Amino acid sequence: MKRSLRLRRLIAPAMFIAPAALALILTMAAPMADAVLLSLQNWDGMRPPNWVGFGNYLNLMRDETFFRALWHTAYFTICTVILQTILPLLIASLLSSGVRGSTAFRTLYFMPVIISLAISGLLWAMLFEPNFGPVNSFLRAVGLGGLTQLWLADAATVMPSVIIVSVWQSLGFYLVIFFAALQGVPKDLYEAAELDGANAWSRFVHVSVPTIWPVILIVIVLNTINGIKVFDQIWVMTAGGPNYASATLGTYLYAMAFGAMGASNSRLGYATAIAMVILLLSIVVSIVQIRLGRRGDLDSQLEM
Amino acid sequence: MTGSANMSSTPRWRRAIASATWPVAFTRTLIYVILTLIAIVEAFPLLWMLVTSVKDSHEVFNTILPAEIKWQNFPRVWVAMNFPVHLGNSLYVTSLTVALVVALATPAAYAFARYKFPGRELVFYAFIGAMMIPPQAILIPMFQFLRSLHLLNSLTGLALSYVGGGVAFAIFLMRTFFLSLPGELGDSARIDGCNDFQVFWHIYLPLARPGMASVVIIQSLYTWNEFMFANTLITSPGLKTVQSAVFQAVGQYGTDYTALCSGLIIALVPVTLVYLALQRQFISGLTAGALKG
Repeated sequence: MKRSLRLRRLIAPAMFIAPAALALILTMAAPMADAVLLSLQNWDGMRPPNWVGFGNYLNLMRDETFFRALWHTAYFTICTVILQTILPLLIASLLSSGVRGSTAFRTLYFMPVIISLAISGLLWAMLFEPNFGPVNSFLRAVGLGGLTQLWLADAATVMPSVIIVSVWQSLGFYLVIFFAALQGVPKDLYEAAELDGANAWSRFVHVSVPTIWPVILIVIVLNTINGIKVFDQIWVMTAGGPNYASATLGTYLYAMAFGAMGASNSRLGYATAIAMVILLLSIVVSIVQIRLGRRGDLDSQLEM
Repeated sequence: MTGSANMSSTPRWRRAIASATWPVAFTRTLIYVILTLIAIVEAFPLLWMLVTSVKDSHEVFNTILPAEIKWQNFPRVWVAMNFPVHLGNSLYVTSLTVALVVALATPAAYAFARYKFPGRELVFYAFIGAMMIPPQAILIPMFQFLRSLHLLNSLTGLALSYVGGGVAFAIFLMRTFFLSLPGELGDSARIDGCNDFQVFWHIYLPLARPGMASVVIIQSLYTWNEFMFANTLITSPGLKTVQSAVFQAVGQYGTDYTALCSGLIIALVPVTLVYLALQRQFISGLTAGALKG
């Protein structure tokens, strides 16, 4: 009697959850398991695959281009984590210092956020065009002709260029997050600091930053995860070029798998092994996030 | 607070000097200058794109402003890039994905928030663990999987490929929302004779609309803007979504920047209109999604 009652209590939640569970198994868990297996095979997408064990991973360890892609991914991630945390935080605190028109500024800064990474990349590829593009034209017009670059076409400037695009696109997003968090800092903390003679900078460092620290951590984690996965904007701008100078893990695996679509040199197993590296890095970051995160504190701080 | 304790030891005369050398008006002006400069940097690419789209093609690199506004670039590109078809494709994929995600995730999120059952935490974390999986990891198996179902190169197949990640995220967001609703409502409805499904449907679902709105906004923007899957799982030109169609167009139009800019603008119009209409919900929905997800 008691057992059947307990079972009946399970029926309702099971029915609510079952459809989502089925969808997740079919479109997430199964492909994920398949990917693990695929990374242990050689497969061109046409002929039957053959098992190579850890062969793909061993080849990765010997693949110089893979390590370049890994380094570019790290470089992109480190730069965007720093720039896309500090710049939006500073600007958000300027905006929350009681300036007029802060809503208008935020609406404007947010515009690029709704633009897809692919379209942002296509737009900036035009802006960076070396001969006639507006970036170089502007530099020449203001007498800084010496600073003109080949931008995306030069191995030395291609990574900074794609980082600029990323900062431009995401600034408004992180800024709005920080702005919301800063609105939640109790006003009396600032007043107390001001009475004690703290200037704006020390109020920022000693009051704002410690109070919204959990939000800053989340932004750092979001930036890290996005950095590890970076693909869209780089693929549309350079496809990882010139000569792999902007290849990241994302673009390198894509080139391996689909770069020569339908051709017999499509290396799906090898590409999947690179995807496993991205997965591993994402999991490490997520674990760090869970360790650091005290999400319970967050809701009380956010007043949207 | 430790900071303010230290600062109280600052002598009064130093504070006086500090405030005297930085008059409020000067600081204010400086802040506006900085904010305006950033606004210019953020807006310039978009303005350049707008101006270029209405130039004559020989003016692109020679003049800052067009001699005469050429609206005809838009109808030309509208037809040449086959926009009615691509916008329709994107709309179909986005609507189907959003409908599936909301329909699947809402009841599940409700169950995780409102029922106690053995293994609940474990199942929940298994679900949201899917959010950790980067899209690259499932791209190739998904390609294979859809091919075996004859859903490769199909808009429905593309929508299905988005469901897993979307559902995981939506459950996470919606559960928080359901947790914030009072449990007593359901208890009293049960006393009045409602069964489990009726409690969910008549009591909690209507209250969950704001949470669902967030999911709809986040998922629509994500699906509409998604590029990697759309560019890979669809190969026929006529089935391309907007993102992947404008990418293909670059190859065809080369340095015809007036055409490309007109194309990018057409591609951006739907999202921009929704953003301008629902600005507040858009910004708060996206930021809440980021912080909770």
